[in-house]
Amino acid sequence: MTRPQPRYRRSLGDLSERALAFWLLVPAGLLLGLIALYPVLRLVYTSFFQYQLTLGPEASFNGLENYATALRDARFWNALKNTSLIVLITVPGALVVGLGLALLANLPFRVKWPVRLGLLLPWALPLVFVGLIFQWFFDSQYGVVNDIIVRLGGERQFWLFRPDLAFWAICFTIIWKTSSFVALILLAGLQTIPKELYEAAEVDGASPFQRFWRVTLPLLTPAILVALIFRTITAFQTFDIPYAMTKGGPGNATETLAMYVRVTSIENLNFGYGSALAVLLFLLSMAITVVYLRYVRGADE
Amino acid sequence: MKKLFWLALAVLVASGAVAQQATRLRVFIGGQQRPDVMRKILDAYQQRNPGVRVEIEVGGATSDQQQQYLTTVLASRDPSIDVILIDVIRPAQYAAAKWSDTLDKYLPAASRANLLKQYLPAYAKANVINGQLIALPSFADAQFLYYRKDLLEKYNLKPPTTWDEAIKQAQTILAGERNPNLNGIGFMGNISEGTVCSFLLPIWAAGGDVDDDSGKLILTEAQARNSLQFWLDLMDKHKVSPPNMAEKAQDTIRQEMQAGRWVFGTLFAYAWNRFQNDADSQVKGKIGVVPLPRFEGGRSASCLGGWQWTISDFSKNKAQAYKLVRYLSSPEVSKVLAIEASNLPVFPSLYKDPDVLKANPWFADALPVVQAARARPVHPRYPEVADVMRKALNAVLARTKTPEAAAKEVIGGLQAIYGK
Amino acid sequence: MNPFKNLRLWVWVAAAIVVVNGFFPSVWIFFTSLKLEGELTRIPITYWPENPTFQNYLQAFREQPLGRYFLNSVIVAVASTLLCVGVASLAAYALARLHVPRRNLILSLLVGVSMFPVASLMVPLYQTFNELGLRNNYLALILPHAALSLPVATLTLVSFFAGIPRDLEAAAMVDGSSRLGALWRIVVPLSAPGVFTAAILAFVNSWDEFLLASTLLPAKAMRTLPVGIQLYQGEYVFPWPLISAALVVALVPVALVIAVFQERVVGGLTQGGVKG
Repeated sequence: MTRPQPRYRRSLGDLSERALAFWLLVPAGLLLGLIALYPVLRLVYTSFFQYQLTLGPEASFNGLENYATALRDARFWNALKNTSLIVLITVPGALVVGLGLALLANLPFRVKWPVRLGLLLPWALPLVFVGLIFQWFFDSQYGVVNDIIVRLGGERQFWLFRPDLAFWAICFTIIWKTSSFVALILLAGLQTIPKELYEAAEVDGASPFQRFWRVTLPLLTPAILVALIFRTITAFQTFDIPYAMTKGGPGNATETLAMYVRVTSIENLNFGYGSALAVLLFLLSMAITVVYLRYVRGADE
Repeated sequence: MKKLFWLALAVLVASGAVAQQATRLRVFIGGQQRPDVMRKILDAYQQRNPGVRVEIEVGGATSDQQQQYLTTVLASRDPSIDVILIDVIRPAQYAAAKWSDTLDKYLPAASRANLLKQYLPAYAKANVINGQLIALPSFADAQFLYYRKDLLEKYNLKPPTTWDEAIKQAQTILAGERNPNLNGIGFMGNISEGTVCSFLLPIWAAGGDVDDDSGKLILTEAQARNSLQFWLDLMDKHKVSPPNMAEKAQDTIRQEMQAGRWVFGTLFAYAWNRFQNDADSQVKGKIGVVPLPRFEGGRSASCLGGWQWTISDFSKNKAQAYKLVRYLSSPEVSKVLAIEASNLPVFPSLYKDPDVLKANPWFADALPVVQAARARPVHPRYPEVADVMRKALNAVLARTKTPEAAAKEVIGGLQAIYGK
Repeated sequence: MNPFKNLRLWVWVAAAIVVVNGFFPSVWIFFTSLKLEGELTRIPITYWPENPTFQNYLQAFREQPLGRYFLNSVIVAVASTLLCVGVASLAAYALARLHVPRRNLILSLLVGVSMFPVASLMVPLYQTFNELGLRNNYLALILPHAALSLPVATLTLVSFFAGIPRDLEAAAMVDGSSRLGALWRIVVPLSAPGVFTAAILAFVNSWDEFLLASTLLPAKAMRTLPVGIQLYQGEYVFPWPLISAALVVALVPVALVIAVFQERVVGGLTQGGVKG
């Protein structure tokens, strides 16, 4: 069931379509060019240099050596593993939870604001502080989580320094924070689905479940796609929450790639290697996102 | 000779410029360094040097946040900052990256030796990198053993001088008090700079160190293992520390001790004023400080903290900046910081100064501690050194690694950094 | 007729869970802002403050010019949101409605810039704004914040614009509107929920951003809220009650404005809304 899409006749435009498209894209190009072009080129350029300020301020070209180092670096592989797991767990997690939140927030409650605000607040709470608040929640002694567990008769857990528990605590926090972002986008998508379609489906005798599968989900696909793309990208960039909750510990058990990039460049002043790690992180998220991008709807379809 | 000529010329030009218009200097300090007191200090300087105007730029409130900002500014070779207040662990990094101008250019060798003698001894080690003087100290900090005077008196105990004594005393008091919320020995075990100090303390207290004066790695696997085992034993064997030390930040221990829940705590100097002055403190007048305990046959050592003034190598007013740095690291300013900001002075003589003692009577007890303070490894790749050490201790306390395995990793990690 | 009647109880339970889940950390922060520090290490822990006090709020405003930080945040967030949504609407219209050669490449470029960790781009970004003489100028933050949210805003809008029936647009153009006129008069209003979502995303991204703000607007008079709030810390201390008070000050107005806006404005726009 899709909306009618009459073929568009080109003669309607004033400018030729290509020229109009070009001029509409210029402001975005200028803005991104000003902000991102030089930094990104510079980053890629630096990644081919031995440039470690703790050994001296000079940079020397070393080709692909930084990349070769990364492939031999156990800490890189460990961070890659953690990052991939976070992507695999928190992207679908946030999507499912976010979809649930959005469906609920779209119901015809008489007073809408409590649910809407409940959906919005996690997104509005600054990321750094979300990490610190949940570190506190998961604290073994002063945390709400253990307090509730103990009140229910359970055993106190050391959430943040048992590697597996720490990892799940981090994933939980990420899903809590980011499902709100997903829900915002999906809620907007739901709001544009015409009520008539539901009414028509109901007349046809479809159950709520069937209505969800046959009306909601297909029409929501574009919004889901957008949420998925950006949730994936930000999941690859995961930094603040694990940094605040565990600093990557115990040991390096919860260190992500973005944390390793930051430590390498900012703390250790190894800009060459840090840049190479950042480029690898980019290539990785690009490889996955390009697949999604093919499905973004446009005039050509 | 040639250098001297250029220097003289530079001074001449600089002073010529001063005559025409005010030299503007910009000083960078952290948000935690009392910008209000610093402003007063700089106002006094401006009054005495009418040709100089000094602005303060206030950065983030922690060493990490400032590092993030300064890395960006200095890696961009931005000349806008002339003088920077840096953490005691950073001079070697600044020297290697050539972010700091060496002070030797302005200071003849003989007077340099004289100058450094006046400061607490550890600062000469921390601020002289490969023979070059990189920075001068502003104020001191160190780890103390804070103890509950009232509890020790109750059990007729004297403040401990060895770790064995400290453990026995803690056990005696815990057994006697029967208070489930009272703990014995508090130390830092989370992933933080304080945990680096925790790792180093037992090594120093047993007479060892990480590197020697020539910068060669001398730490042995056995020493590293003993340190890790020592802290683990406090939890598991001696039962004087609770099982969640791997998540304890320094300030959590401070808050708990303030609520009367620790017998001993190894904390930096800031804790004292909180214990004495906070409205809700349960331990007012009940806390004493002594040097950190040693092991039999070793000597007492504390972890040196504190902040240093350095000149940005990208500054365009280095000669003027040098004059300012000498003022900021003078006994006069150290005294103002001690009285108005309760910062520990960097001159031993000031610990006996009546004005300073009137404002901070406990500084009398602090002198032996800061004199025995040791600098953390002075190495351009210190952040990596620190990372190896604190993650090892944290992993042992979290029980994800045995002391043996973690010690092996520490030595391997340090060898990779130091070179064999 | 309510299609969910038989599910009513479950819906209420779920709604309660959403509300508790969403509100709890913020309410926790609010309660913390009414406590004194000593209460935070109490065993067992306390939820409701024992002796509620507004002292932290007073101290928060006394220690830092919180009002000024708030104003800076508003200026930066509002300006970057307007810029971002404006530029994104134009680009999204082209990408959703027009024949764009190499569309996938353009989409990849657009999305690709958000795949680098901002931390690793800081040095060249700093140099750029230094060269332009824009440090400590609002523009130094407005432009990067707008750019930061541009990819997500554009893609959100593409997905909405693509769903607007073309005959509506065509009708407007037959009535004599130009293409751009049709974009502003038909496409954007019909995509109100999408435009609004893009705006929330851009606004909150800017409101919460710390790294760029602390580097490009470091002067005291220019600090934004996240930068200012971090200054309540000390080297060793993180005074939760004080920081919570500042967070509440930063959070409440935003949440209320967005909630009211969504209920009144967007609700109104959609009801007049799309007929499929």
